[in-house]
Amino acid sequence: MATSTAHATEGNPPIVAHHFNNLRQQQSSVRFGMWLFLVTEVLFFAGVICAYTCYRIWYPIEFEAASTALNPLIAGINSFLLLTSSFTMSLAIRAAYNGNQPGLKMWLAVTILLGTAFLGFKAREYYVDFEEGLVPSTKTAIVSDHDSYSVLDQHKTVSLFGQKLEHALKEKKYYKEHPEKLKEVDFDRARLFFVFYYSMTGLHVVHMIAGIGLLVWQLVLANLGFFRPQERYVYVEVLGLYWHFVEVVWIFLLPLLYMAGHHSADHLHL
Amino acid sequence: MSAQKPTVFEHEHAGPPSAAAATMIFLALAGLTAMALMIGFLELGALKVWVSLGIAVVQTAVVGVFSMDLKQSDKLTWLVVAASIFWTFLLFLFTLTDFLTRHYFAF
Repeated sequence: MATSTAHATEGNPPIVAHHFNNLRQQQSSVRFGMWLFLVTEVLFFAGVICAYTCYRIWYPIEFEAASTALNPLIAGINSFLLLTSSFTMSLAIRAAYNGNQPGLKMWLAVTILLGTAFLGFKAREYYVDFEEGLVPSTKTAIVSDHDSYSVLDQHKTVSLFGQKLEHALKEKKYYKEHPEKLKEVDFDRARLFFVFYYSMTGLHVVHMIAGIGLLVWQLVLANLGFFRPQERYVYVEVLGLYWHFVEVVWIFLLPLLYMAGHHSADHLHL
Repeated sequence: MSAQKPTVFEHEHAGPPSAAAATMIFLALAGLTAMALMIGFLELGALKVWVSLGIAVVQTAVVGVFSMDLKQSDKLTWLVVAASIFWTFLLFLFTLTDFLTRHYFAF
């Protein structure tokens, strides 16, 4: 391990920057910098999850009903894709540490592929949600009121989102068996769940896109031979810290958003 | 160059988890994920959210300690992690004590 600052030559940046005492100190500082960044990320996501918690406690019936309309199969597939990508990221770090350049390139590429597959399934999920009208819109429609006994008031204004959600839930096994439970749902409040669903998963997607961008950048660097000095493995390691953190966020989104509802194996579809 | 006192950033680091260790971590997390998905299909009532979040906390601990290699991190990194948990606790405490007690007062 180097104990003094290396000198740069043209086109060959020093492994240990001049302001560090030695390599070990530099590597620890690089790791610590990423941990400090991750603290800000923890507080960022904790804020959204805290807001979700307040409304979940206030409107538990509506949140459980809205969650039932989501797609647990895609969520399950995405959970395993992300988990596997974290595993391949760990293998990429180990390859960089061992100076295994082909292994590093391969595992970085596999991680990028798995991350992209996650985004592909996510896009499919958003598309299906949009097709089913599960978008927290405030649009309303005027419809005939067959239940009205009044001759003058034969029309009423209804929420389009509420109608679409009610229609989606009527198809679910739980609400077929317990139709009285559906009557308890206030669909205007259920709209709040979808506000959280799109913001939380959207923020997670943004982090995934940033992570994939950084992985592509490291793959380019690996191809240029940047990681040939094994000491530089620490840069792959800190990107791994970020990637694992993105997985941790998903670990909490899965039970809070997808698994809060009344799901049945009969309704699994892509 | 005179000998300098080692700083907190200069402790020994044995390298990232080996491929065998990473495989064990992956299998443990895959088992926990399968369990979390299975619980999502059960009707456990109010208990469901607590069981699901309990599994999520265990998964997070496994990812943090083993995948993110906290187990061989220095004290300063542990302090940073503890601080983030503490600040998250404060965030939830002060927000929920406000929001969950509003109905006790006639505002």
